Amino acid sequence: MPGADKEADLTERIEAFLADLKRGGCGTGPIRGSGETARETTALLRKVTAQARWSSAGDLMEIIRKEGRRMTAAQPSETTVGNMVLRVLKIIREEYARSRGSSEETDQQESLHKLQHFVHLKANVIEAINELLTELDGTTDNIAMQALEHIHSNEVIMTVGRSRTVEAFLKDAARKRKFHVIVAECAPFCQGHEMATNLSKASIETTVIADAAIFAVMSRVNKVIIGTQTVLANGGLRAVNGTHTVALAARHHSTPLIVCAPMFKLSPQFPNEEDTFHKFVSPHEVLPFTEGEILSKVNVHCPVFDYVPPELITLFISNIGGNAPSYIYRLMSELYHPEDHDL
Amino acid sequence: IKDKLVEYFRTQVRQDPEVPSAVAAIRTLLEFLKRDQTGETILGLRENLTQTIRRLEEADSSVAVSSGGELFLRFISLTSLEHPDLSQCKKVMVERGELFLKKISLSRSKVAKLCHTFIKDGAKILTHSSSRVVLKVLESAAADKKRFTVYVTESQPDSAGRQMADKLQNLNIPVTVVLDAAVGYIMEKVDLVIVGAEGVVESGGIINKIGTYQLAVCSKAHNKPFYVVAESFKFVRLYPLNQQDVPERFKYKADTLKAVEDLAEEHPMIDYTPPSLITLLFTDLGVLTPSAVSDELIKLYL
Repeated sequence: MPGADKEADLTERIEAFLADLKRGGCGTGPIRGSGETARETTALLRKVTAQARWSSAGDLMEIIRKEGRRMTAAQPSETTVGNMVLRVLKIIREEYARSRGSSEETDQQESLHKLQHFVHLKANVIEAINELLTELDGTTDNIAMQALEHIHSNEVIMTVGRSRTVEAFLKDAARKRKFHVIVAECAPFCQGHEMATNLSKASIETTVIADAAIFAVMSRVNKVIIGTQTVLANGGLRAVNGTHTVALAARHHSTPLIVCAPMFKLSPQFPNEEDTFHKFVSPHEVLPFTEGEILSKVNVHCPVFDYVPPELITLFISNIGGNAPSYIYRLMSELYHPEDHDL
Repeated sequence: IKDKLVEYFRTQVRQDPEVPSAVAAIRTLLEFLKRDQTGETILGLRENLTQTIRRLEEADSSVAVSSGGELFLRFISLTSLEHPDLSQCKKVMVERGELFLKKISLSRSKVAKLCHTFIKDGAKILTHSSSRVVLKVLESAAADKKRFTVYVTESQPDSAGRQMADKLQNLNIPVTVVLDAAVGYIMEKVDLVIVGAEGVVESGGIINKIGTYQLAVCSKAHNKPFYVVAESFKFVRLYPLNQQDVPERFKYKADTLKAVEDLAEEHPMIDYTPPSLITLLFTDLGVLTPSAVSDELIKLYL
């Protein structure tokens, strides 16, 4: 039966995605960037909406929530997956409210489960998800377009590790201005080297420095521009190891710290639980297994992420413009619905 | 009739010491609404209710009674009261009043549910004076099988901290009472500071028992997180810029205000903590950063 085939196909795709999530993001840095993860998740949720069996908005939300829980359990540190699920849930609520023509909040909880304008709702939700996908495609370009306002001639910019967003940002500015970039290599994965190579291919003067030299060099830096893995609900960051050092050095020298982060990285989590917060990978990068004698006497950790508190950040540049860290709560209330915060 | 209401209010507080004073005040107002015969028009009813709130404020000068009363009034009267019959309108108002009361009775448990995840295993917590909301938060954390120790400031002039310590000991939580002056000394040992609030102001700052401001400044100097737990009916439409700006009617106890001529001689019972010293606020509207408070406050009062 064609129906059963489609369902089997859908579950297969979801399983493949989950397996990929479990594998991705370990070892020598992320195999896929967060942009691709966000796009994959949204496309998958669109398929679920189109093909799964549901008869009311409440049903659809339950299905999406269930899939969302499975996806976030596969890789808890990849928050973009959870964020996309929350965006889709908000879209469903909005489309439902629009089709009913009212905005009475208390009624929505019960009536979401009633059978209402099923066919139109499905088409509207799928259309809205398509719009979301277009938005996701354009995020890096939207951020890069703002580069000229922030980078001026003969400036020295510092960045950490490798971020595709910051790379596009700097390359866009380099088309019209001449400036110098200092990249901190960001041990142990040393992604800074790759970033420096890419930037110099775009004819930007680049210097690579060791992490230990960050504070020493900071007095000559005009701006620090970094990317991040997640933006937390209090305006803080979960970024690559070494970012907190850069942020503290910048605060000491009163250098502005600019974070380039697209909206899909905004997560409703607060930095409270240490166990779900951190991700550790194999300590082989820090102390190779060949040093057998030392290994038995020493505890070696290789954390992947750093927490940067909101007081150290000057500006967030996202695809919808520049915002102060204290404004994050407002952006969150526009993107996600408070009922959905706990998947 | 006004004295009977104040008596009712006092009995409510006496019967159930766990209930927030604002909830007792709102119950009193609801009782008044049900019994009131003199109101002929809706405006008259509102006038009577406003006057009752003033009388209750004279009985108990805490900020929460004032803000709770005003929110109650807004909640029940800012609906479409289009029925031509006054008794119908009154019925609608009483219904909405009951709904409001039910919502806020649950607020303390909502706050506790949000906050206890922020307490990690092995944490050392510092709190100030006696707050029933903080007690509830620590209770839920203990019920969640977390191990932590608590330091409570003695909080003169009424030694409320000692009562808090007794209650915590009954919950089998290890607790130590410290002098108010020892806050700077103990700050290096603690991991986080949790306090309640008597009122939350528009800027995101709080009004709380005297000594809270000191605690906040110390915790900022030592880089410790400073958390505030408060229910949403404590949000008040004030914007103090410094300690002097807090209105006198909140600073001193109701009896002191009536009895004493020259207030400059009296010790104030509360102080104002600015939002720059607060890390996060836990309310039944969710976890808020101090900058988010004004948005939520406006939504409440609109």
